[in-house]
Amino acid sequence: MNCAQARLLIGAAPRGADAALAAHLESCAECRALRAEMLRLEGDIERALQQPPQLARRRRGYASGWQPWAMAASVLLACAAVLGVWLLRPSDSLAHDLVKHVKAEPESWLAAQQVSADGIEAALKNSGVAIDLTSDKVTYAQSCWFHGHYVPHLVVQTAQGPATVLLLRHEQVKSRRSFHESGMTGVIVPAANGAIAVLAHGGDVDTLASAMQQDVRWLPDSN
Amino acid sequence: MRNPEPESPVFSSGAQVPGADPGAPLTRLFESLRPDLMRFAQWLARDRAIAEDIVQESLLRAWRSREALKDPGAARPWLLTIVRREHARLYERKRLELVPLEDVVETHSGPLSVAVEDDLFVLRHAIMKLPLEYREPLVLQVLGGFSTEEIARELSLSSTAVLTRLFRARNKLRVLCGMAAVADVPDEGGAA
Repeated sequence: MNCAQARLLIGAAPRGADAALAAHLESCAECRALRAEMLRLEGDIERALQQPPQLARRRRGYASGWQPWAMAASVLLACAAVLGVWLLRPSDSLAHDLVKHVKAEPESWLAAQQVSADGIEAALKNSGVAIDLTSDKVTYAQSCWFHGHYVPHLVVQTAQGPATVLLLRHEQVKSRRSFHESGMTGVIVPAANGAIAVLAHGGDVDTLASAMQQDVRWLPDSN
Repeated sequence: MRNPEPESPVFSSGAQVPGADPGAPLTRLFESLRPDLMRFAQWLARDRAIAEDIVQESLLRAWRSREALKDPGAARPWLLTIVRREHARLYERKRLELVPLEDVVETHSGPLSVAVEDDLFVLRHAIMKLPLEYREPLVLQVLGGFSTEEIARELSLSSTAVLTRLFRARNKLRVLCGMAAVADVPDEGGAA
């Protein structure tokens, strides 16, 4: 595959998992950078399309008493927008650090090949976690240093694209927290012994988080 | 009135067919998918009233053809396909008046709205500005979850043509959002 072919695939389906493209990306920094840029744009496109366009016909040359109401509505909407941004901010430093961590491993979402059972086991080793997960969905599995501990960092392929899962044995959250930052949507959910974080570029993260709550087994403290 | 009276319980107006069971699984399934269908139709039609008509008509067609839906798990793409075809049919049948984009605004884009400066607003506006030939495959892919091959089948295009259109759609969005255009690709292969 040459760069022109790679550009076509990246532009046409940034989340695509074409094996030839993956191989090309390993050796082409320029296309890798384009892919990362297009993935960011893709997250924004997904967010933009999530809401239907609130369309109205513009009235030409027609000024009347509705304008003050429109202005008031605009101010209210502006306030709502500010409130929305405030509500969607990372709920705390944990969410921010998770986003930062995932951004630091952009290649994790480019992996297209499934990880072997041994690879998953290696990522889980010494983390105090076992997982009942169909390995053909996992395309990335690493043991990452996060907040002073090694934690499993997985990328799971879902119907809506890749999603990152971090199993945080040493983090405690009292309730579900959702966040949005840098084009990523995420959720942190409490688990039996720790917390589970799921991040994706748009799409549904709650379904996977719920599934992981079922699939993850927290082993007796070993480290 | 643009549409006939509802013939099935799958309608939001509250109308029910005598004897129909509003709690039937298929009815509930269709109703649960209505917001998705409306959003999809609005991105295609860029007009809420037309989108409502399209969804209404599509649900009628779906209800009449419900025997064809073998797997309820496939209801979403099945209904989205019906909506897309109904949108295409409506334009062919009625030769709808084309609405200049300059006449269409997002309702929150008033003169004092700070949303104008918002990246997402810019992007939404850019998507609306895309010609239908680019907007349609993009919406099918991103909102509908259709694969390149499925879009190619639906639009009677070659897979290469779909890839090219998707590439150009995103490239146009890049430019409309102030990013540098990626070098274009050779012309598409055209119809399948």
